[in-house]
Amino acid sequence: MAEFLQLEMQDGVRMTWNVIPGTKQDAANCVVPVSAIYTPLNPNTEIPVLPYAPLRCRICRSILNPFSMVDFNSKLWLCPFCFHRNHFPQQYSAVSPTNLPTELYPQCATVEYMATAETGPVSPPVFLFVVDTCIIEEEIGYLKSALAQAVELLPDHSLVGFITFGTYVQVHELGFGLLPKSYVFRGTKEVTKDQILEQMGFFAGKTKPKTGVIAGARDGLSAESIARFLLPASECEFMLNSVIEELQKDPWPVSADQRASRCTGAALSVAAGLLGVCVPGSGARIMAFIGGPSTEGPGSIISKPLSEPIRSHKDLDKGSAPLYNKAVKFYEEIASQLVHQGHVLDLFACALDQVGVAEMKVAVERTGGIVVLAESFGHSVFKDSLRRIFQSSDNDLGLSFNGIFEINCSKDVKIQGIIGPCTSLEKKSPLSSDTVVGQGNTSAWKMCGLDKKTSLCLVFDIVRKDAPDTTDQSKNEFYFQFLTYYQHHDGQMRLRSTTILRRWVAGSGSVQELITGFDQEAAAAVMARLVSFKMEAEVDFDPVRWLDRALISLCSKFGDYQKETPSSFSLSPRLSIFPQFIFNLRRSQFVQVFNNSPDETAYFRMMLNRENVANAVVMIQPSLISYSFQSEPEPVLLDVTAIAPDRILLLDSYFTIVVFHGITIAQWRKAGYQDQEGHEVFAKLLRGPKEEADSVIKERFPVPRLVVCDQYGSQARFLLAKLNPSVTYNSDNPPPPGGDVIFTDDASFQVFMDHLQRLAVH
Amino acid sequence: MSRPPPSFTPQNPTPAPNPGGPASSFPASFSNLQISGAPPPFASAGPPAGNGPAPPSIRGPQAPVPGARPFAGSPSPPVQQSPPFGGPPAVQPLQPPQRPPFHGPLSGPPAQAQRAPFRGPPAASQPPPFAGPPAAVSQPPPFVATPQLPPYSAAQPQLFGGPPGGAVPLPTYSMPPFGGPPQQGPYGGPPQFGGQRPGSQPPSFGAHTAPASQPPPFMGVPGASAPAFGPPGWQGQPQPGVLPGGLQPSMRMPVMPGGMQPIAGQGIPSTPTMPYSPHAGAQVSTPSKIDPNQIPRPIAETSVVIFETRQGGQAAVPPAASSEFIVKDTGNCSPRLMRCTMNQIPCTGDLVTTSGMPLALMVQPFALPHPSEEPIQLVDFGEMGPIRCSRCKAYINPFMRFVDQGKNFICNLCGFSNDTPREYLCNLGPDGRRRDADDRPELCRGTVEFIASKEFLVREPMPAVYFFLVDVSMNAVHTGATAAACSAISQALSDLPEGPRTMVGIATFDSAIHFYSLKRAQQQPLMLIVPDIQDVYTPLQMDLILPVSECRDSLEQLLESIPSMFENNRVADSAFGAAMKASFLAMKPTGGKLLVFQSVLPSVGTGSLSAREAEGRSNISTGDKEAHKLLQPVDKTLKTMALEFAEYQVCVDVFLTTQSYTDIASISVVPSTTGGRVYYYFPFSALSDPAKLFNDLRWNISRPQGFEAVMRVRCSQGLQVQDYSGNFCKRVPTDIDLPAIDSDKAIMVTFKHDDKFQENSECAFQCALLYTTVYGQRRIRVINISLPCTSMLSNLFRYADLETQFTYIVKQAASGIPTSSPSQVRDQVTSTCINILQSYRKYCASVSSSGQLILPEALKLLPLYTLALIKSIGLRNDGRIDDRSYWVSIVSSISVFLAVPLVFPRMIALHDLMSRDDEDSLIPNHLTLNSENIQDDGIYLLENGEDGFIYVGNAVNSATLEQIFGSSSLAGVPNQLVLEQFDNELSRKVNEIVNEIRRQRCSYLRLRLCQKGDPSGDFFRSLLVEDKAPGGLSYVEFLVHVHRQIQSKMT
Repeated sequence: MAEFLQLEMQDGVRMTWNVIPGTKQDAANCVVPVSAIYTPLNPNTEIPVLPYAPLRCRICRSILNPFSMVDFNSKLWLCPFCFHRNHFPQQYSAVSPTNLPTELYPQCATVEYMATAETGPVSPPVFLFVVDTCIIEEEIGYLKSALAQAVELLPDHSLVGFITFGTYVQVHELGFGLLPKSYVFRGTKEVTKDQILEQMGFFAGKTKPKTGVIAGARDGLSAESIARFLLPASECEFMLNSVIEELQKDPWPVSADQRASRCTGAALSVAAGLLGVCVPGSGARIMAFIGGPSTEGPGSIISKPLSEPIRSHKDLDKGSAPLYNKAVKFYEEIASQLVHQGHVLDLFACALDQVGVAEMKVAVERTGGIVVLAESFGHSVFKDSLRRIFQSSDNDLGLSFNGIFEINCSKDVKIQGIIGPCTSLEKKSPLSSDTVVGQGNTSAWKMCGLDKKTSLCLVFDIVRKDAPDTTDQSKNEFYFQFLTYYQHHDGQMRLRSTTILRRWVAGSGSVQELITGFDQEAAAAVMARLVSFKMEAEVDFDPVRWLDRALISLCSKFGDYQKETPSSFSLSPRLSIFPQFIFNLRRSQFVQVFNNSPDETAYFRMMLNRENVANAVVMIQPSLISYSFQSEPEPVLLDVTAIAPDRILLLDSYFTIVVFHGITIAQWRKAGYQDQEGHEVFAKLLRGPKEEADSVIKERFPVPRLVVCDQYGSQARFLLAKLNPSVTYNSDNPPPPGGDVIFTDDASFQVFMDHLQRLAVH
Repeated sequence: MSRPPPSFTPQNPTPAPNPGGPASSFPASFSNLQISGAPPPFASAGPPAGNGPAPPSIRGPQAPVPGARPFAGSPSPPVQQSPPFGGPPAVQPLQPPQRPPFHGPLSGPPAQAQRAPFRGPPAASQPPPFAGPPAAVSQPPPFVATPQLPPYSAAQPQLFGGPPGGAVPLPTYSMPPFGGPPQQGPYGGPPQFGGQRPGSQPPSFGAHTAPASQPPPFMGVPGASAPAFGPPGWQGQPQPGVLPGGLQPSMRMPVMPGGMQPIAGQGIPSTPTMPYSPHAGAQVSTPSKIDPNQIPRPIAETSVVIFETRQGGQAAVPPAASSEFIVKDTGNCSPRLMRCTMNQIPCTGDLVTTSGMPLALMVQPFALPHPSEEPIQLVDFGEMGPIRCSRCKAYINPFMRFVDQGKNFICNLCGFSNDTPREYLCNLGPDGRRRDADDRPELCRGTVEFIASKEFLVREPMPAVYFFLVDVSMNAVHTGATAAACSAISQALSDLPEGPRTMVGIATFDSAIHFYSLKRAQQQPLMLIVPDIQDVYTPLQMDLILPVSECRDSLEQLLESIPSMFENNRVADSAFGAAMKASFLAMKPTGGKLLVFQSVLPSVGTGSLSAREAEGRSNISTGDKEAHKLLQPVDKTLKTMALEFAEYQVCVDVFLTTQSYTDIASISVVPSTTGGRVYYYFPFSALSDPAKLFNDLRWNISRPQGFEAVMRVRCSQGLQVQDYSGNFCKRVPTDIDLPAIDSDKAIMVTFKHDDKFQENSECAFQCALLYTTVYGQRRIRVINISLPCTSMLSNLFRYADLETQFTYIVKQAASGIPTSSPSQVRDQVTSTCINILQSYRKYCASVSSSGQLILPEALKLLPLYTLALIKSIGLRNDGRIDDRSYWVSIVSSISVFLAVPLVFPRMIALHDLMSRDDEDSLIPNHLTLNSENIQDDGIYLLENGEDGFIYVGNAVNSATLEQIFGSSSLAGVPNQLVLEQFDNELSRKVNEIVNEIRRQRCSYLRLRLCQKGDPSGDFFRSLLVEDKAPGGLSYVEFLVHVHRQIQSKMT
């Protein structure tokens, strides 16, 4: 396990199989697909940044890397992907075994190139705020202060724009100094880019060119006309602040039995159009702050009468959410427009009810946007998350723009697709498999927005039919090269190149080798992404059954057992906790969606699809740490039996962090012992989980929700829901004294394992 | 002339008991005196004997009505000599003993005034070009000295005897006018009136004033009666020196001197004006040698008449609309509010057809009263609402007859017998009238207002909403039009009605629409732009329109900054239609007035227009034939929009401050459908026009007006309303919807017979206008008139109302302009005139020789006016399309009072003001409209109520120039003149005159300088309608033409 982490540290890659099943059949037998979770901008200070352009293979365009064989005498290098011999160009003439260019150092499988000549001028990041005003005054107040704070933190050179919406969409002209001025668009209509060009006076005084692309300063628009709406933060601070200060609830009247008329779709369409007109191809984010469901115009998710409830998973299953498909289609169009322009949609959804994240998911995910779901604009989940976006510190998100992700593989490997925040560029190549998972049919993807943690799940296809007879060590290697072009948050274009090598095995004797290369955490993360994807993509998909089958097959293939003897079943440590992951995944929010609203499900899945393996594992199987007088803080089993009256439990389920005080601890705390002399130890005990929680919160984005609760309290449900129900109201074994029971009919892990063993050995 | 013109034989003046008998003293052929009323009718109606009973049918069986007697040929005292053509003022001198004393003083001046037009050029006494004997010219003084009748006959030989074509002048003087006889009625005490207690003298003034001082129980607070409005005071004549960039700084000059805003009840102004009287003498000229001096022309009158609308139970014949008179409402409404083309109603439809005359009412429900008139009484029936006929829903009026001890009343319109509500019961007096009739305005006044009860309210009365919409496209800003509009609005804010119900809003537009939220909580207005001009909307529902009291300061500030805000606007497009629509949407919940300031051709968005004029010209093949299509709206878009506006009570006024074609034909549809109007400033000048713009706007919002109005005219059974015309929207056949109605707007109502009237009956008309006052009170203004019916064609001609009929003709012509070629319209107008005259000739003057052109006295000016109409802007071939469209648009709602001068302008001399001898009148005598009156050393003002043209000859004394224009040379003076007042007497007088004209016309004239030898001078001369013009006949030629046509029709 540790070696996988080591590799991840270095290259940002986790693979399900680090020893790769070498044939199509082998791969199929392995159940868990050959896949990688790659974090393109994995922060690693040791990654060199090279101030020149990369050297590419003339044939396959892959980049010179440590795995390239170099003939120092003839100044040639051999491309490991296509085996073409390339001449070094003039500037590499001095290459010698003692004088290697950085990219050939073995430890430099991942390097970054930053060639100013190739990338052109520095473009500032653009932030276009899109703010919902159909919210109650109190929420407006929260939102105002959050926005004001965000504006303060904006980098001075970044460009800012401001749009508000309610019944109508208002684009604020921040560059107009005399009065607060805004363009008002009807909420019921989609607005095209051409309409924006025409209606917002971009051609004022000039005739519109008949042909050609007209957008941006480079393509024919005057800088002044753009600067009306997008200004450097330093120049429009006053105007921006006064616009925020004067934010008001949408003035159109709403009757008591109706929802406010909120045109989220039109607002986003205007925002996308405006960015498309002003800054196409240059990094920009639409930051949408949404306080309720869209009820007006395109992309609306619900009609206005309050008597009609917002769609649930059940409605979606039954097809009784009349607006859902239309809305999704609309947001797909927005998504492709944004992708085309290279822009990001971020979503800050803060409402007690749903706002339509499920419908908007496609636009956020395809553009690599950030999503934050909270109950209120006053909630720390929102406030702190927003602050984190702009805060520059060690934990900054490293927001980058306008990425293009490309891949090169050895010829027996193809790529089915990527599950994660990106969009296929439909650049079909010999590399793309006919089987498509997620964003496929291509060898290049657009990543409009990406940050340090953005992680893609690449699903590969091993296409070799037969294992070759040769066992030549040099030939059983697969190479993968991941290339990421992106606009660094300092504005420059960069290219990160990661080249990795994995060995493959084939044939019947390869099981043990495969097991040594199995990364069960990565596998859990991949399976979670896959099951989520299939739940959305395939009709009548039964996720539990699918997971169970996969697990049983895997255990059948890799377990040690005697046929038909369940008790003889055992798993290698490389595989041993995988069943537990699957058990928890079956019970998780990703699979058991009916416990959540479609919005929440969409949110959870989006986070799952963009986080790295470690975080994904926490989402699937929360970590539980116990604090007590008896011992140092220690991880404990995620089981109801972990509850004890004199313990404090810290549960991290990624989205929520629960500090759970056993009943005795709670009583002491209420009695105030922690403030009394002589009870410093107790105070320290109380502080421990709090501090741990804080340190997690500080690093995580979006900021998780912190729940501090006591045993038997109502908030304790946040903990209980995640625990293995080994003790339930109708189980035979009573809880330990002071313990807890869970009111559920769900099977416990033990029951699950029993079944698994029985089925695996068949 | 291929053959000698027919000779005009004299009309036989037989019965005229005129002691002068001027006609008889001349050879027949020269005896041009035509007494329209007198002999001809009898010729057609039969022998005099049979005539006796006929006229009385109007007034009761035996009425030996003085007016009728002369026609019967029976000898009668002078007072009975009443051919109808006498102008009302003229009669008064004849009856001094019976007039209230204040008529006395007026007896002198009229003579003077009336003479003036015939004098030719004033005292300067240049020999008249027509070469009349010098004696004629030199003779006037005696006339001046002889106000009374007798000298006339003596004078005539001197004046007219010379030339062969000499005319017999001025029958007016020799005969009492119409006004006389009816007044005689009650006093004379004819028997049947005696039945109505002759001694009681109902119409006496004393009786009339009583109700005002003793309000009946039902009446509202007397003080609350409809306010009397004076005409506008004009403000801010700009001074060029202080007009940088066309922006007019605070130029509010004091209200014009001379009591521009007369106070009600101040009495007769000390300086009576001298309006024209069409009721002057009628003449016939021999065509071969027609003396231009002898042909009929309007005569100015100076005297102020007291006009009682009914006298002795009879409808009195109203004075000319152009004359000054004070109305005493004694049962019929003031003629200002409503007047008919005929003062006696023909019994049958055939009679109307035969006469060739139109039967129509001109209704001007908010017409400005004379300052001395009593205000309209306000009556509050409380929750019961006004008493109405339960069948036809007509409102209670003085002509409803109470019977059966007052328990029932019979509707004068439909004849239905209604039960009198118990609350409204009152005993009848011995005369058959209710005892309280004189105390109740609704029973004794022709015009009255009722407070509307709940059943009239479909919603709360709307507030007074004024929404300003200003063009800020590139051209508008560059020409200074935007600045002028903003400044005008800013200054006019203080003239908005006081009170919390007055709301304002503003928007600007170019290719997008910019709204401004003036909400008080925000320090600065919020500018909201609606960019989608194909499918517009209002960006806010509230906060765009606020009570003026809450946002005046921020609005003023905004108005100040708008011109600079758009200083560098490079958007040349203008989304006029879309901007209106968007503003309308903002106003939709309340309705109100939308005042649009537009400067260019609307080029984009909903309702955009194209430069059709250019297209029309370039496409010569369709050129002339189709040219009039340019006067039609290009499509239905704006009309549809306007109908929607009207439905939600939004009235649009459009101020076109433009320097190019703007397609008024299309644009004007919106104001004309919503009860507004077009104002046209072409070519817009930032120097001279801001003042007019401001004054127009100010008058627009401060004049008497009402909102969300519905009007219906009812008439007695026998007639039915045929059509309404004017600026309104009509959804159902019976009613017209007027989002706004104001004092300047008139509505023409035409009628047709569906049955016969009895000879001795009366035909009543009732106009009911339900409206909301600017202060938010819902009222019904009910205007009644009841006229006698006649079956005699001669009576129709005698009681014809020239100006009203002519207004009808003008309006008809205007409505034909967009659908026919100008020549067709001109032919139509001419034939209307000819048909009327021919009918008269055929049926009322058949005994005359066919060589004579015989004009009915009442209509003797019809040919002259018709000629003027043919030559007017709207009917010209050479006019700009927009000028013609504008003309059409203003005619559609024009009142009788303004219709005549629009077509037949008034010209006065300015250079000799200092040597005037008719000092009693502020405005000098007008000159006839021919170039013989224009001298090279003269300065003349010609005005038509819209424009004022100041013509300067090329030999004018430079000192005079210096005095009037402040410059001894006109080289640097722009054509679009800004008349300044300089420190000298002449300048002061000129300004006084101009201001007086502005007051009279309720219009701030656009002054233009016309110089001889310049195109502007040529244009000026084209306005002289009596002149022969290229393609147009001279007055004399036209008379000849008319005569020939009649002759050819007769044979």
